[in-house]
Amino acid sequence: MSRLIANAASALAPTCDYTTGCITCGDVAIPLTVLRLDEGRGLALCADDDGSSETVEIDLVAPVAPGDRLLVHAGTAIARLNEEAPV
Amino acid sequence: MKYVDEFRDPALGEVLAGEILGLVEPGRHYKFMEVCGGHTHSIYKYGIDDLLPTNVELVHGPGCPVCVIPMGRVDDGISLAHQPDVIFTCFGDMLRVPGSNGTLLDAKAEGADIRMVYSPLDALRIAKANPERPVIFFAIGFETTAPSTALTLKRAKAEGVSNFFCMCNHVTIVPPLRALLDSPDLRLDGFIGPGHVSTVVGVRPFEFIPAEYGKPISVAGFEPLDVLHAIHMILTQIKEGRCEVENQYARVVPYDGNPRALQVMSEVFELRPHFEWRGMGFISQSGLKLSEAYADMDAEIQYGVPGIRVADPKACQCGEVLKGVIKPWECKVFGSGCTPERPIGTCMVSSEGACAAYYNYGRFAREREVV
Repeated sequence: MSRLIANAASALAPTCDYTTGCITCGDVAIPLTVLRLDEGRGLALCADDDGSSETVEIDLVAPVAPGDRLLVHAGTAIARLNEEAPV
Repeated sequence: MKYVDEFRDPALGEVLAGEILGLVEPGRHYKFMEVCGGHTHSIYKYGIDDLLPTNVELVHGPGCPVCVIPMGRVDDGISLAHQPDVIFTCFGDMLRVPGSNGTLLDAKAEGADIRMVYSPLDALRIAKANPERPVIFFAIGFETTAPSTALTLKRAKAEGVSNFFCMCNHVTIVPPLRALLDSPDLRLDGFIGPGHVSTVVGVRPFEFIPAEYGKPISVAGFEPLDVLHAIHMILTQIKEGRCEVENQYARVVPYDGNPRALQVMSEVFELRPHFEWRGMGFISQSGLKLSEAYADMDAEIQYGVPGIRVADPKACQCGEVLKGVIKPWECKVFGSGCTPERPIGTCMVSSEGACAAYYNYGRFAREREVV
């Protein structure tokens, strides 16, 4: 019975979308734009291109400014998307 | 979208595919491993393998952190989740990974307070909102994710959050690659290197692959043209008789990685003498645990875990799939006993897993071939 409930919960749970992969578990990161900073706490509010926002840890790429593009994995910015970098 | 559209341009893709065709020697078979699960997904999602000559074969590597978690560690996590008052937090993919007696989702159905989070920071937020209850974060991931856990543990310490704990299952990428290269049953001609792991560790740690094993490697991004370009780079090296580390993803990956991330990781973690990988057995110095300075936040020390080693299910061939020895569809239970809805092996659980990727995209191509 518990397994039945678990399977039902699995169907309802917000699991990863197979078409985009899992942003938290794998080697996947998403580009976000910095909206505003909480410098005292080392956090930034960032938005994706669809407009949904999340709080992001910016310690690894500091200093950042609003408008900067960051590559974010599991709530942490791991790299900057540098306009001048070789493409 | 900047940095995305340019790397999905079909016309450029055709040009690259044409050049790749010109680089391969007819009659020679090329076998390249994409180390990372993210690449596996790009390959199937965009049908990259359909653009390659038939004598270029891609095999999937061990780069999905969920897929390499052994059953015993899942059991340890479930035992922590059942401790009184504990709130157990983990990433979504982890919830459906089978242990020897059910999944974390089963444990949740039995009454354990298990919550899915998108980041370690979410777990810390839960700890701050529930100061009277211990909150354990089940940390998994390669060097891409480990800095995120490290920063959150540092933050918890700095903010004096005393009810936040971590069960650390972080792994490192180089030891399993070395184990693969030492494996006698695997013949590879080159590697597509992991893109985002390399933003943290840099390109330098992969220098041993050409230097000691004579295999070319190109660290690659995740868009379809990134992957095609990396294959083009590896084939060019082979054609020109070169063997080195190249960085296809230089727009994001610095040669030396992110020094701040490496520093934070070395403060918070230390290497375990050995760590068990599903299907690959124990690999020395391949896993991370919390350092002495963070021992008070180590759930394994504070609560104790059974730590019992559980053999992989007999029918499951995740080990061979992870090593690239067999293709997902060659597994005895692929698509019959083992599906994303009811997985037996972890490669089918995680969306990064080779079997899940193949089940969702690649099997259609296979069906076409068979017909």
